[in-house]
Amino acid sequence: MTDTALQAPARPVAFRLRFGTGWQRPLGHGLMILLSLLSVFPIYWMILTSLRPENEILSTRIWPDAATLDNYAYALSAIPMLRMLVNTFVVSAVVTAIQILTGILAGYGFSRWRFRGASLLMGAVALTWLVPLQVVMIPNYLLVARLGMIDTLGALILPHTASAFAILLLVQAMRSFPSEVYEAARMDGANHAHILWHIVVPNLRGTIASLAILVFISTWNEYFWPLLLTRSAQNSVVQIGLQMFITAEGTQWGPLMAASTLASLPILAIYLVLQRQVIASFMKSGLR
Amino acid sequence: MKPIVVSAALAGLTLGAAQAQTMPAEITEPVTITWYNYNLASAGNGADATRHLIDLFEAAHPNIHVEGVPVPPQNITTRVQADLVAGQQVDLVQVTFNALGFAAEALGAHALEDIVPAAELAANFEGMVQNGLDLGRIDGRTYALAYTFSTPVLYYNADIFRQVGLDPENPPQTWAQIAEAGRVIRDHSDHIPLASGMFGPSAGDWLMQGVLRSNNGGVINADRTAMTFADPASLEAVQMLRDLAQEGILVNLDVTSQLESMAAGNAAMYLQTSAVQGYLIRGAEGNYDLRATTMPGFGDLRPRPNNSGSGLAIFSQDPARQRAAWELMKFVTSNEGYTIITRDIGYLPLRMAVVESPEYLAGWVSEHPLLQPNLQQLSYLEPWTPMPGPNYVQIATTMMDAIEMAVFGDNDDVAGILTAAQTQTQGLLP
Amino acid sequence: MSLASVAPRHGPNRWSRLNRLVRPYLYILPAIATFVIWIYEPLARAFVLSFQQWNLMPTAPRRWVGLENYENILALPRFWQALENTGLYLLGLLPMAVLLPLAIAIFTQDLSGRTRNLYRALIFVPMIVPPVVAAAVWRWMLDPHNGIVNGAIGALGGDPVRFLSDPHLALWTITFITGWKLMGFSTLVLSAANASIDGSLIEAARLDGASTWEIVRDIRLPLLSPAILLLVLMVILLGAQWSFSYIHVLTEGGPLGSTTNIYYLLWQFGFGSLSVGWSSASAVILFVGFSLIAALLFWLKAKLSFHDD
Repeated sequence: MTDTALQAPARPVAFRLRFGTGWQRPLGHGLMILLSLLSVFPIYWMILTSLRPENEILSTRIWPDAATLDNYAYALSAIPMLRMLVNTFVVSAVVTAIQILTGILAGYGFSRWRFRGASLLMGAVALTWLVPLQVVMIPNYLLVARLGMIDTLGALILPHTASAFAILLLVQAMRSFPSEVYEAARMDGANHAHILWHIVVPNLRGTIASLAILVFISTWNEYFWPLLLTRSAQNSVVQIGLQMFITAEGTQWGPLMAASTLASLPILAIYLVLQRQVIASFMKSGLR
Repeated sequence: MKPIVVSAALAGLTLGAAQAQTMPAEITEPVTITWYNYNLASAGNGADATRHLIDLFEAAHPNIHVEGVPVPPQNITTRVQADLVAGQQVDLVQVTFNALGFAAEALGAHALEDIVPAAELAANFEGMVQNGLDLGRIDGRTYALAYTFSTPVLYYNADIFRQVGLDPENPPQTWAQIAEAGRVIRDHSDHIPLASGMFGPSAGDWLMQGVLRSNNGGVINADRTAMTFADPASLEAVQMLRDLAQEGILVNLDVTSQLESMAAGNAAMYLQTSAVQGYLIRGAEGNYDLRATTMPGFGDLRPRPNNSGSGLAIFSQDPARQRAAWELMKFVTSNEGYTIITRDIGYLPLRMAVVESPEYLAGWVSEHPLLQPNLQQLSYLEPWTPMPGPNYVQIATTMMDAIEMAVFGDNDDVAGILTAAQTQTQGLLP
Repeated sequence: MSLASVAPRHGPNRWSRLNRLVRPYLYILPAIATFVIWIYEPLARAFVLSFQQWNLMPTAPRRWVGLENYENILALPRFWQALENTGLYLLGLLPMAVLLPLAIAIFTQDLSGRTRNLYRALIFVPMIVPPVVAAAVWRWMLDPHNGIVNGAIGALGGDPVRFLSDPHLALWTITFITGWKLMGFSTLVLSAANASIDGSLIEAARLDGASTWEIVRDIRLPLLSPAILLLVLMVILLGAQWSFSYIHVLTEGGPLGSTTNIYYLLWQFGFGSLSVGWSSASAVILFVGFSLIAALLFWLKAKLSFHDD
């Protein structure tokens, strides 16, 4: 680790030496700061609005005049917000874990061996992207009904036990994994399970962590499938809760923004935790 | 199809059909019914009032348990359809009026005349506004009782009116007066002269039906066999809207932008359902003077608004559950029920006693002047005609796309656009 | 990847042969089973339903209508407009969802750990905002009357811009919002790929006197190309679906259908109303149409990488 720490600042020096004037760097930083502001402003606005009193909601002033927690109190009492957050967290965490597991297995299968029908099956995986969710929803609903799983969290998880994105990303990462490492492990007599879990997976943890973040978020933000399954607010997820503040008779912006802020915090936390894995993996590859 | 589901559902259906006439006089055994309800799918007054209604009902009928199923309005038909196919128990449903035809013809909503003893039905209809009852009827049979419904009103910002020299005490009553006022507002302020909820997928065709009908036109003929929105009277009304748009008076905004522009005080006039009243009042409070008047007409013709919103329909197959659903329906459309709906959610009552009797809301109504145009229109309200057949959604969407193009598009050939769309939608009729 | 030919150590007995034969399939079985049960079986059924008119109700008649559902969809006045719009969305999304994130990933890679992570975390923030909220906030910011963007334009002496209600602008506004939301996603994918590039390759090149640009061009870009291709593929195939939420919340396809893309159109006419004939035919059209595009892309990719060799 100390090596890396020493190594990291060495690069900019080399960089600056090469571009004597270094004018590109300030330009790059300028653009990055602009993009960062652009990225963060709406979330600032979300939090700001969530703190505004009701008669100020449609105000477009950038600074808060008076802050209140009324919207949070209302959001928490109008819908079973905490219960929904827990439900969503459970569903997202389980889906993420399962998708990564099936993705790692499939990724290994596809990248490790050439077998009859491999490209056909690979194509079938990629093509799942192109099937509009809405057309499979009703048949899936009927299946869930037959399994007696309507109004359960299990029904939110079951159809998501694999994802094309996870598989494709992991296949690609595993293909660029140096084959000498496989070979050496085979020579040492390691079996495939050992190679996969003790050599491949630890080396791909940066990719896996990024993937986990993305899968978690997309499950967290899912709306249409939970909408069809919802029979009670208690067994529902937070996106359904957010939509409860949006009606044809007008949107309750204050509570919506308060609920959205609450719904965004767990994702931010997950990102920060998993981002460490990405960084750690980079440090490791820097050492190699 | 999954064979098991099919045969089970089929068995249930035939059984139900055979016993349709034998609704018991009262509920003696505990029974649970489902109520597909869209007010429950939102947070706030609507959901609270609905839960309150259910609690009151359950207290009065200890043998009946009501399971509220929350579904947003735009999904309710889809959801009922899916649940019927999946063999879930569907009893009472809050049906949006555009889907009433589909609910009756395809999904098997019962005509009340078929399941409720005639004398009981007549007794319950006592005191209901006659043309309010018509809202839920198709070919003379009552498939739904109007439940949460509202009428189109013209909201206006009296402060803007005063600012540009218009008289807020005499708001426009005809489209010609709207055009006149609109020109003044356009020329003397930066505000949007006229926003409207006529266009956009979430509006469907409900407001347009009333506008065309007010010029003695219409979107479809009386027996729902021919589209008529390109006929001369309808065409004239659309041409009038185009003129307003061309003059920069009528502005094309999506549904949320309109609502927020009016709520924030940026629009001078807004033609929209009275259901948004609560939202506008909250926006106007402390900011500007919000007023409302009836929907505008054409010249001397009396305006012919139609309702938006929902009615309640019964889908139960089992006689005991039919009785339970009917009891719930009776309760929520009683004087007590409408009192809660009108006061706490902001819809209209189907029983005039609710607004006339001091026992209910007479006092409350006098404190809420914005409700007046709404109540006034109740006496000449006409039904929102649902498009027939399985393509009812596609017909309305294609028609409204064409009318939007005719009003706001670059092409001046209004007749050509409407005629082409009329021919096309005609082909989608059953 | 020719490791499959490594000779088994215990001699060629039946079990290990069979084992070797089925092993790859066992690894991909869980994923494939999921897809067959939850996606392909319903899709196959939709294919059959697309030639019928039926509302799924067991009591209702099930009528074969031949190609009528397809004809209805292709006859929609908005169909070709929506197709063209879909192309425009993709054109606008590619720079925002691929090029810009690529530049960000490469630029930030050379920064010190703390600055790099700060930038990347900030760029990632739009991802965590629920789509409906992102749409709402942008609507406020772009409001012609009191949005801050138009405030700034007004201060500079310009006329208010109707970002969402001008038929010529609305599509680009929605493209921008979709791209803004996607930036963090692409940056994360590319950064992960970038981070897994063997650092020693770069060090070696640097020692050989390669400039930063040369390192990017000769080492980073070729090694990132699988990730870039994956993103391009995703944008082209999924862009129409990604824009959906914003179209739905911000314009509902209007004004005058100018923001309707093919996915939104088919949702309006098919999936949104559970008309099984319409929605099944819509699904088949989308699936076949985008599959052809995907096939074309893979063919191009194969051709391009052949030239690389």
